[in-house]
Amino acid sequence: MDSIIQAIKLLFGADPELRQIIGVTLRMSFSSTIISSLLGIPLGVFIGSTEFRGKAWVLRITNTLMGLPPVVAGLIVLLILSRSGPLGKLKLLYTVTAMVIAQVVLITPIITGLTNNIVSLRAPQIQETAVGVGLSRSKQMLYTIYECRMQLISTVLAGFGRAIAEVGAVSIVGGNVQYKTRVMTTAIMLQTNMGHFEFAIALGIVLLVISFLINAVVQRLQEGKLRDD
Amino acid sequence: MIELVNIVKKFEDRTILNIPYLAFEEGKRYVLMGVNGSGKTTLLRIMAGTLKPDMGEVKNIPRENMGYMPQLPYAFGFTVRKNVEIALPKSPSSTEKAMHALQAVGMDGMATAHGHTLSGGETQRMAFARMIALPHTLLLLDEPTSSADIRGMDEIETTLLRYVADTGCTTIISTHSPAQALRLAEEIIFLDKGEIVEQGSAKSVLRNPQNEDVKLFLKHWKI
Repeated sequence: MDSIIQAIKLLFGADPELRQIIGVTLRMSFSSTIISSLLGIPLGVFIGSTEFRGKAWVLRITNTLMGLPPVVAGLIVLLILSRSGPLGKLKLLYTVTAMVIAQVVLITPIITGLTNNIVSLRAPQIQETAVGVGLSRSKQMLYTIYECRMQLISTVLAGFGRAIAEVGAVSIVGGNVQYKTRVMTTAIMLQTNMGHFEFAIALGIVLLVISFLINAVVQRLQEGKLRDD
Repeated sequence: MIELVNIVKKFEDRTILNIPYLAFEEGKRYVLMGVNGSGKTTLLRIMAGTLKPDMGEVKNIPRENMGYMPQLPYAFGFTVRKNVEIALPKSPSSTEKAMHALQAVGMDGMATAHGHTLSGGETQRMAFARMIALPHTLLLLDEPTSSADIRGMDEIETTLLRYVADTGCTTIISTHSPAQALRLAEEIIFLDKGEIVEQGSAKSVLRNPQNEDVKLFLKHWKI
C-alpha cells in the first residue's frame, strides 16, 4: 500500500526522470505505429484485395512474422545496426531511432496481417461493384480502405498496444540508457529488479492510463460510426 | 458482335464453364437461365472482367462503356445519391443525373439515406440506378431482382426495357424466373453444368423446350 501511495506522489510530483521516460515511450510508440501503419495498411489492402502468384506464400510468411518473438526482432536489428553490421556506419545503435526500427520490424507484419484479414472479407463484393461501375484500381483501393476504416483503426490500435508494451526488442537495441533510451517497460523491469516498487508501480499506472485513454477514444469513434450507420 | 471463344473455367478438378462459342448481337436482350451452379454468374463475371478464364477469349467487349451489376451489389457507407454518383464522371450535372436514375427506380425519396441502412431489395434498386445513370453499350445484370419485392421488380424491369429502347444497348441478364425471362428476353441461353444446352427465342425455349434438363426445369415453374 505504501508503494502505491509513493507511486501516486511520484506521478503528481512530476519527477523529471519519470516525465522523460514517459516522453521517450510515447515518441517511440507513436513513431513506430505511424511508420508501421503507413507500410502495413497499404500492403495488407493489396494482399487482401488482389490475386497474384505466390499469395499463399506471402500470407504464410506474414502470419509467421506476426508471431515473431521480440527478442529475435531485436537481435536482427542489433546485428544490422552494430558497428560491423551493414548499417553500422549510421551509428544508430542505442538510440530511440534504433528502437523505432526494431518496433517497425515487429509491428508491420501484425498490421499487414490484420489488415489483410479485414480487407479480404469485404474486398470481393466491393471490387465486383467497383468494376461494374468502371472505377479505376486506385479508387477501388481507396473505397476499400474507406469501407474498412473503423476496423483498420482497431488494427492500428493493436499495433500501438504492442509497441507501448514491448520490452525485449527495445532493451536489446536501445540498451535502457538512463535519460536517453529508457522507456516505461524497460524502466519497470529495472526498478522491479532493484526493489524500487513505487517507481515501477507509478510507471505501470501511467501505462494503464494511456492504454485506457486511447481505447476510450477509439471506442467513442466506433460508437459514433455505428450511430451514423 | 461480342464473341466468347473456347471459354473454359475450372474450380479445382470441376469444370464450371465450358463454352466453345457464343456470340451476342448488338442491341439485343439476352437472358441466361439455369439452375444454381449452372455457370450463369461465372459467365457474367468473365465477361465483366472480374474473373479470368483458364482458357479462351472474350472478343469485342466494350469495357469503357459497360455496366455490370453483380449478384450482391455493394452499398457504400455514404448517401444513396452519392452511391449512384460514383458511377458518373464528375460534372455539375452528376447530382441531377443520379437523382433522375433514382427516380426511375422509385428510390428518389431515399436519396439522403445511408447506404448501410438499405435492405437487400433497396440495395438492388440503388445498384440498378447506378447502371442506368449513364448510357452504356453493354449491360450485364446478374439476377438484378433476386431480393426485390414485386413492386421493386416491376420498377426495375419497366425501367430496364425503357433504358434499352432509349440507348439500344446489348443486355445480358441472368435469372431463375421463366416469367421474368419471358418479359425481358429476346433470346434465352440455357446453361446446365457450365454448358449451353439450349438457345433460342424466348418463346421457343420456354414454350417448346427440346432439352430434357430444360423441360425438367420448366416443369417446376408451371408457366
